[in-house]
Amino acid sequence: MLSSKSIQRLVTATSITRSSTKASLVIPVEQRRSVHTKDVYVKPGTAHSPTLHFKRKHWNPLYKKERGDRVVKVDLDEDPKDLNELTPQEIRMMMKVRGLHPFRPWNERPINLSCTPSIFEPYVPPEFDGKLSIVSKDGAKQKFEVMGKKGKTYLAVKKITAYDEDFDMKVFVDEAQNIYRKAHQAIADEDEELLHDLVTERAFPIVTHETKNKTIRWQFIESVEAPRAVHARASEVISKDNIFAQITVRLHTKQTLAVYDRFGRLMHGSEVIAKDVLEYVVFEKFISNTNGLWRIHDKIIPDWMPKKPASLRTVRLSLEETAKPPEDEEVQNETASAV
Amino acid sequence: MNYTRTLLSSIVKGSRSVYAGGSYSESAFATTRQPQCLPWRAGTHVSQLHASALLSASGDPIYSKYDPDVSVFHRHNLKKYPPLEPGEAPRHAFVCHEKRNIRYYPKKMQVVAKFIRGMTIDDAINQLKFCPMKGAVDVLETILEAQKMAVEEHNVEFPSNLWVSESFCLPDQVIKTMRRHSKARVGIIRHRFVHYCCTLEEGKPPKHYYHDTRPLEPHEHIQQWLKEKRERHVPLSI
Repeated sequence: MLSSKSIQRLVTATSITRSSTKASLVIPVEQRRSVHTKDVYVKPGTAHSPTLHFKRKHWNPLYKKERGDRVVKVDLDEDPKDLNELTPQEIRMMMKVRGLHPFRPWNERPINLSCTPSIFEPYVPPEFDGKLSIVSKDGAKQKFEVMGKKGKTYLAVKKITAYDEDFDMKVFVDEAQNIYRKAHQAIADEDEELLHDLVTERAFPIVTHETKNKTIRWQFIESVEAPRAVHARASEVISKDNIFAQITVRLHTKQTLAVYDRFGRLMHGSEVIAKDVLEYVVFEKFISNTNGLWRIHDKIIPDWMPKKPASLRTVRLSLEETAKPPEDEEVQNETASAV
Repeated sequence: MNYTRTLLSSIVKGSRSVYAGGSYSESAFATTRQPQCLPWRAGTHVSQLHASALLSASGDPIYSKYDPDVSVFHRHNLKKYPPLEPGEAPRHAFVCHEKRNIRYYPKKMQVVAKFIRGMTIDDAINQLKFCPMKGAVDVLETILEAQKMAVEEHNVEFPSNLWVSESFCLPDQVIKTMRRHSKARVGIIRHRFVHYCCTLEEGKPPKHYYHDTRPLEPHEHIQQWLKEKRERHVPLSI
């Protein structure tokens, strides 16, 4: 494999200067054509040889310039530059030279705020939640956050009920799990229109990243524990009447996920092996808007959660990654994030 | 050249050439290679290749929506195949890549393109590094880019496990300029441009790229000889 430097050297085409009359047969890199790498032996008698170049000169150097002027020179855009690498001033000059008008769209589109860019105050899940059973000593000690009569969560829920009278947390939590299921099914079915109703604009690109040209088969088997709302926040964005509400729901479910690549080969997961998935999913709704819907906004992945399972294929690490000392291998539990 | 028209016509009619129309594509790709080499061209070359289990109806690819930003050749990269059934033979990954508007002569570029046909990617890279043609630089660049794409986007595990299954060039525009001669005569200089396209496939290359013109094995020679002798016609015989 060529290094990036040698590729750059190969790619930049340098022309042979006419005044290169070196005695040695190995031509230095600066004067060499881009094809050859650094230490290539150039056979004598080839076009690069100075002796043959001498033979190609016209016998009368007097009218050299006029002879050259016989050819009508045209600027062919042989190496078009990548527009992404040019500065705006350079692009402007290029367009001016070619007599092209700049692109000036005079129509102004209104900005539509339909979701927030992040989670307001992220919920911090208790450590090793879901790994310890309630029956054990450590599990019993673990505190569960009960939605009491005070605190920010309670105030947020109060605000939500102010805008939405029929709001009930127990009903909402089941609804949230349904939205979660439908959203995953929509990703698997590549139904982007439906997905927009189930997932916010911020989450949409994250959720559909690297799903093109792949077949995803996802199945929801059962919920290990009932879904529970653990956190809620409501806050204004820009103006005082614009209120967005975010509720974090703890979902402990059993799922199967199988991802096939473009050619139908299994890339990740399995259709048969089910995995327990513990997730803290943030649902958001634009409550001051009557057309607001509860949609998936983000997922909270705590540090103590085990990493994704190893992929089915080997991946080459870069040199920097191999220099680092290997991390201690933890015993991988069944609990893992699905997608 | 109207690349859009030829792609659509190939889907509709199932015609041979999927690349830019005209005489170039028809003659250049009249290769009759074994079907294992080109399972992904099932829809296009069925008439020429003998039927095999790989060309089943259930294994047909799904063409994605038409995207004007994606070139005709790159559209092959958007073909999606359904997941493999338990009994099905494995499907090899392939990547199509091209480099457009290279300032080089198609005739000279063809030499380089034909050179690396059927080579493993490592061989191709090593040979192109020392190829004295100017087009070898562009071909090498294309191949390296395609290899990178294969590993990153198309789920190819080992970058060395690729071979050059298709390597061809297509002529592009010609810009004509003048060269003045004595007595008000004009010589026309043609500045030629060329596109280079390559397909990398996963796996080992076939032993002989051109199946029809391969050197025959001894037992195949005997079969051929027998066939010729049996087909002899003696005129006016009983």
